[in-house]
Amino acid sequence: MMEALVIKLVLAGIVFFAALNLAGFHTWVERKQSALIQDRIGANRADIFGFRLLGTLHGVADVIKMFTKEDIVPAGANKTLHTLAPFFSVFFALVAFAGIPFGDRLILGDRVIELQIAKIDAALLYIFAMLSLEAYGVILAGFASRNNYAILGGIRATAQLISYEIALGMSVLGVVMVYGTMDLAEVVRAQGRMIGGWLPLWGIVTQPVAFFIFVTAALAETKRLPFDLPEGESEIIGYFVEYSGMKFGMFFLTDFLETIVVASLSTTLFFGGWQIPYLMPDGFHFPWGGVLLVPNPIYVLLGVASFSIKGLIFCFVFMQLRWTLPRFRYDQLMSLGWKGLFPIAVVNVVVTAVALVFFGKAS
Amino acid sequence: MPKLSIDGREVSVRDGTTVIQAAEKLGIFVPRYCYHPGLSIAGNCRICLVEVEKFPKLQIACNTPVTEGMVVHTNNEKAEGGRRVVLEFLLANHPLDCPVCDQSGECDLQNFYLNFGLYDPRFREQKVKKHKAVALGPHVMLDQERCILCSRCVRFTDEITKTGEFGIFNRGDHAELGIYPGSELNNRYSANVVDICPVGALTERDFRFKARVWYLSSAPTVCNGCAQGCNMDLHYVLDRPHLNDGARVVRVKPRYNPDVNQWWLCDEGRYGFGWIDRARLVKVLSRDGEVAAAWEQALAAIAGALKGGRIGVIASAQLTNEELFLIREIFWRALGAQVSASVPVKPGSCDDFLIQADKNPNTFGATLLGLAGPDAPTAAQIVDEALAGDLDVLWVMDHDLVELFGEEKVRGLSEKVGLFVFSGTNENATVPLAHWVLPSAAYVEKDGTFVNFKGRVQRIGRAFPPLQDSREDWRILLELAGKLGLPLDWQSPEKIFLALAKAAPPFEGLSYEAIGAQGVRVAVAP
Amino acid sequence: MAVRVVRRHELTFWEKIYIPQILCGLKITFTHFFRNLFLHTAHLVGRFKNVPASVTIQYPEELRPLMSRFRSRHRLTLREDHTPRCVGCMLCETVCPAKCITIVPAEHPDPNIEKYPIRFDIDLGVCVYCGYCVEVCPEDAIRMDTGILDVAAYSREAMRLDIHELMDPGLRKPVSRCNLKFPHKCGLNGGEMKGSWDAPRP
Repeated sequence: MMEALVIKLVLAGIVFFAALNLAGFHTWVERKQSALIQDRIGANRADIFGFRLLGTLHGVADVIKMFTKEDIVPAGANKTLHTLAPFFSVFFALVAFAGIPFGDRLILGDRVIELQIAKIDAALLYIFAMLSLEAYGVILAGFASRNNYAILGGIRATAQLISYEIALGMSVLGVVMVYGTMDLAEVVRAQGRMIGGWLPLWGIVTQPVAFFIFVTAALAETKRLPFDLPEGESEIIGYFVEYSGMKFGMFFLTDFLETIVVASLSTTLFFGGWQIPYLMPDGFHFPWGGVLLVPNPIYVLLGVASFSIKGLIFCFVFMQLRWTLPRFRYDQLMSLGWKGLFPIAVVNVVVTAVALVFFGKAS
Repeated sequence: MPKLSIDGREVSVRDGTTVIQAAEKLGIFVPRYCYHPGLSIAGNCRICLVEVEKFPKLQIACNTPVTEGMVVHTNNEKAEGGRRVVLEFLLANHPLDCPVCDQSGECDLQNFYLNFGLYDPRFREQKVKKHKAVALGPHVMLDQERCILCSRCVRFTDEITKTGEFGIFNRGDHAELGIYPGSELNNRYSANVVDICPVGALTERDFRFKARVWYLSSAPTVCNGCAQGCNMDLHYVLDRPHLNDGARVVRVKPRYNPDVNQWWLCDEGRYGFGWIDRARLVKVLSRDGEVAAAWEQALAAIAGALKGGRIGVIASAQLTNEELFLIREIFWRALGAQVSASVPVKPGSCDDFLIQADKNPNTFGATLLGLAGPDAPTAAQIVDEALAGDLDVLWVMDHDLVELFGEEKVRGLSEKVGLFVFSGTNENATVPLAHWVLPSAAYVEKDGTFVNFKGRVQRIGRAFPPLQDSREDWRILLELAGKLGLPLDWQSPEKIFLALAKAAPPFEGLSYEAIGAQGVRVAVAP
Repeated sequence: MAVRVVRRHELTFWEKIYIPQILCGLKITFTHFFRNLFLHTAHLVGRFKNVPASVTIQYPEELRPLMSRFRSRHRLTLREDHTPRCVGCMLCETVCPAKCITIVPAEHPDPNIEKYPIRFDIDLGVCVYCGYCVEVCPEDAIRMDTGILDVAAYSREAMRLDIHELMDPGLRKPVSRCNLKFPHKCGLNGGEMKGSWDAPRP
């Protein structure tokens, strides 16, 4: 029992360490990537003993700044709720990682370790639940700020989150139907098979429409451009207008964490998670007949690396989208969610069901 | 009475008139440098060239007498072409140092050049070097390079002052203006040569580099230096305190008045404005001469003492008629005080041109109002009465009693009299001895009228508001009248003057409009 | 005024489903991204130095080249003997629309120069950089060609340049040395004429 707890704690430590650092790293990526896209140089001034390290130290400087800044609670605001809101935000974004499998079973001696913090049968539902609870942090922040603009921003954000959650859920339904399980580890494992012996049965192959809906809705969930109406930092004033210092930083962190969650989820559902094409648990089985045997630890590590690279590519693409697309108008946002993504997702589910009746389950 | 036509307009003038005068009568301005209406005609600058029909060449307007049927063109192409050439010659050796020249802005060379100058100069030779910045006397600075040898200054010293300091020396290119060796331009009207100099050759030493003339504002007023009442323009600058050491009045220029001073002003009057900005009383001072107090407090205290007290007032012939009239109404008529404006003055210098021995500008006005002259008590009598203990209140206006009667007597006054009030513009030896000191405005800070020694009433104009806390005397007196409950409800010197015109026969029917800019003669001097 | 009605063109089907348009946008941003990433990397190893990877000018180290007619901070030009060319004619003070120039002229010992400024202040906090003073100067005594753009100070008084700073653009307040050779009796020289920032403001 004690041993299982230690294993889980170590796993949790690894995941949270990676996620939080990646989120911090995102600030640098955001600055430099936008600079490259816009023919600029990007922040490069922060230095330690004259070493600037391509501006990576700006993230450190940001953290120092946020921790040392005065924490302002507006007069008359509910101090408890005001303080609670950013913690809510970060907490639910972080615990969502618990359901994501980032590698295949690791066999150490006679011990079998699932590389997933929480082995939940309905991990997908769990992650969705956590993402939904995310809305509480937002509405709480708007509500507790005692500022009309903040509460309007909070309401905007909540409406957006709820609207896109439906499309998000509907799109994932297709995947669940195809693979027949809500256990994400099983979904990933199911994606390891081939069609015709050479095409990996990844979600993107079986559910391409669902993938586009999922990515769009997921972007809206992260509240980043082109769906950043809840925040609209300088123009339309978002729900965290009354936050300063590290509390503001936590909302900021939430955005990046969510991006990572969504990227991981996309990888898991549509790009085979830790799968590498033709890599079976015992080694590579190439369609042309070659076989390359690989010991279990290496196989697992390759899987983890595959998962990480895919996730990072998703993060990169999301960031690129964020610096490419302009912001939606609010009515466009709503009509896209309700009149565009939702009906298509429903049709997708119906079509998938019909196809399953004819071709049989993938599993 | 020959009749002639100038620029197509007919005019008939008296025999012997010159063309330039006839043109002036029509309001046509002919450029001039050497011509000055107050001096003899030299005709040497040639700038006033006009075309007279049937004359083969252009004629100088200043020295061509009119004849019957003459047809003159003052600004056709030919006349202007002639002037352009003349100007080219005048500027041949001119240094063109307008940036450092005090005359720039009011320089006839600049003005005429703008009108018909040759903008593309043809003079390529070396200019003749002459002396610059030569101090001719206490008031005048000469720059020989700028001189165009119009000889106005030479004629002025020859004809008006008859001192003859100036001369033109050497010949041709090297001709230069100067004063005779060993002499100094120190006659009593010397600075007038600066006014008549059309260019920057003669400039005032006092005004030198103090300000540019385009910074100056101008207000017409009358000199308060003596009983002559010369008309003058006060030039002051208020918005550039870094200039002129922060003083407001920069200089004084004579204003033409054919009946008083013509074009001239004596040096004494011209440079007698320093007191307006220096050592002024600007705060109400109470008993000890130390504590600054408010007007309200001071006037209430004085009014309280005036009620029922025996009062002596030593008014001043520096005050305007309006103020003297108020003094007469309040102190003499209403309070039955002893009032005198006949104060012994130190005998000053005088001559038979402008300068008068009486250094007060309004002695004749005071006499007309009965505050001076044979019927009024003298200041000495009032002082004696006060020393005898017969007066409770003594009010001295402007005069330095210490200078007039000696410090001992005034110290006695300060002890004997219940309330010793001094009102005046500047610090003097009497101020520390007075119980109340009321700062009053200088004459250029208020409206009013003076009557000169010939009986001519002339307006002095207000140029700028009184300094700091000081107030015009008429305002002080009217407020005091209000405190005393007297029904004097005039609001301005103009209203007071209308009342004065009703009350005092010599001024009958007069108003500020009737007096105008040049004044009106109201009485014949005895 | 004629009114022109401009109708928005209807979106085509492919525009309505967004995705091709998004891909077009991504093509542009990806092109820039990879081009600049390549160039930055190439610059690090010293290749393609002549192709700029960004348009950024690293301001304090790197200055944007100024136009020849650019109006920067003023300076007073000097004669050969290092006295000011200014003769204190006050034309600049007169023409200045912001009234930021203060000149007090005095008598120069050389009668051929005659006049020079013993005090010449420009209050840069008030100056509007119109350049009229340069235009109007008959002596070419004031120019706006120092190239100094970073006019900043911690007090209003320090924004008032006096004759020391105007004649020597390298000086900055508080001026501690006076190397003016013309007859200028400033406080630093032991004369009674103090620096303009010490002069009482009326």
